Amino acid sequence: MPLPPKLTLISDSRFLDHDTGIDHPELPARLQLILNNLEQSEYYSSLGFHGTRPAERKWLIAAHDEGWLFRFEEAVLSGKTSVDHSDNQICYESYDVATLSAGAGLTGVDLLEQGTARQVFCLVRPPGHHAERNRPFGFCFFNNCVVAARYWQQQYGRQRILVFDFDAHHGNGIQSAFEREADTLYISIHEHPSFSYPGTGYKDETGFEEGRGSILNLPLSPGAGDEQLLALLHGPVEEKIAQWQPDAMIVAAGFDGHRADEMSGLLYSTGVYEKVGQGVRALSNKYCGGRLLSMLEGGYELTVLGESVEAYVRGLLAE
Amino acid sequence: MYISRFMAKEPLTATADMKLPEARRLLNENRFRHLPVVDGQGQMLGMITDRDLRSAYPSSVLSEGERIAAYERIKNTTVADIMSVDCVGLTPQSTLDDALLLLDRMKVGALPVLDEGQVVGIFSSRDLLTAYKELFGVGEKGSVLLGIEDDGEKGLLTRIVNLLEQHDIPFTRLLRFRDVENGDRIYLRLNTYKIASVINLLREAGIRPAL
Repeated sequence: MPLPPKLTLISDSRFLDHDTGIDHPELPARLQLILNNLEQSEYYSSLGFHGTRPAERKWLIAAHDEGWLFRFEEAVLSGKTSVDHSDNQICYESYDVATLSAGAGLTGVDLLEQGTARQVFCLVRPPGHHAERNRPFGFCFFNNCVVAARYWQQQYGRQRILVFDFDAHHGNGIQSAFEREADTLYISIHEHPSFSYPGTGYKDETGFEEGRGSILNLPLSPGAGDEQLLALLHGPVEEKIAQWQPDAMIVAAGFDGHRADEMSGLLYSTGVYEKVGQGVRALSNKYCGGRLLSMLEGGYELTVLGESVEAYVRGLLAE
Repeated sequence: MYISRFMAKEPLTATADMKLPEARRLLNENRFRHLPVVDGQGQMLGMITDRDLRSAYPSSVLSEGERIAAYERIKNTTVADIMSVDCVGLTPQSTLDDALLLLDRMKVGALPVLDEGQVVGIFSSRDLLTAYKELFGVGEKGSVLLGIEDDGEKGLLTRIVNLLEQHDIPFTRLLRFRDVENGDRIYLRLNTYKIASVINLLREAGIRPAL
């Protein structure tokens, strides 16, 4: 049997059907651009591709209240254009597409565990890291990373799941899912919450009760760039992972910290994402047997999003 | 904004004839630091704090004999013997500003809340923090604070508010802050993730975002 490709991408044209209307930053063109850029890259032929599947209700409920599922589905079917807040734009297809988006992580975990993928990157939308157990937030409906983490734990017995998040915004939904339990770890590097959406992710939020120490927030001041990001990645992030010993690693990969992206005040370059890709690949190889699943989160500046993701992928491939 | 929303209501109290070990047990078990002392009708007589109690208890450097003697005396000492009697109180009609100024001036951690002399609550500096956290929306999920340069232009606040309302951009706080050193600022707490479009909108109107 030939070796699986060095990286398997999971995506689906149906992700484009989640229509957020006009003047919304989380738009289908994001994903089209990313895929076009990858197609033109020199390593395109070495990538594997796989479709997604709808996440089964059982796994959505592992991360969300069933009431929220009903509410979301009802909003979509009744023709509403947003749910809970005007940020969370929806169309008739949005519930199904969000289910497919969450399903990509499940498919990815299956491929990794069956040995038919060496590492996985889910190119999905809608994104997930702001979604809370019972409500949507910041363009996110189902928390794709949390759904994948629950699946990895319960379906394959990988108990100690790490989610590392380098999106410019704090993943409040992942934090609230993990902050009271010992078996999961959330590490996030993001713009300081005093200046940035969603206003959570302060350094002193470290978890409660059994989950004390299961949250590591590393906020950066506005104006921080590549140097500060890499110093955190190779310093406190690796230290925490080395000490915590995960069984598997999920990366919430957001690209809105780019200096051209006005959704944050961070000043990352395109090139830094290659180093981040290399860094997370090396961490997964060193600490959790290479079990690495990346999940697309934010990134809204269309002139640089494609090249940023491409740089990250190049980094993931550089083993 | 009135303090009654944020104060601890119906607080535990001590009586004047209560002995010190009992008062200490009450404070320790409930993790309080302040205990109002009341008479049979609930009228405020004074206040006793964990610090008053610590001072009354013997120092750990004393000899065992001296300490035993001191404990014997403490067993028979009443709250009335060591409580502060000249304490100032708030009322349910006091505002957060009243509480802030009074806590700051008195340099105390908590104040009793009195309604016609009756103790109806306790308001602590922690309660003040909670109130201001809520007031300013600090840590409120789904929000972001945006700074704007305030060059003193007449009608700037009106322009900002109109712009946001016309474009259905939710916001919950608007604050004008005089800062001689770094330049005056206006702070807006926006309750949206579409920050880039808000910044563009402001820029197009000649309004300059700033940290």
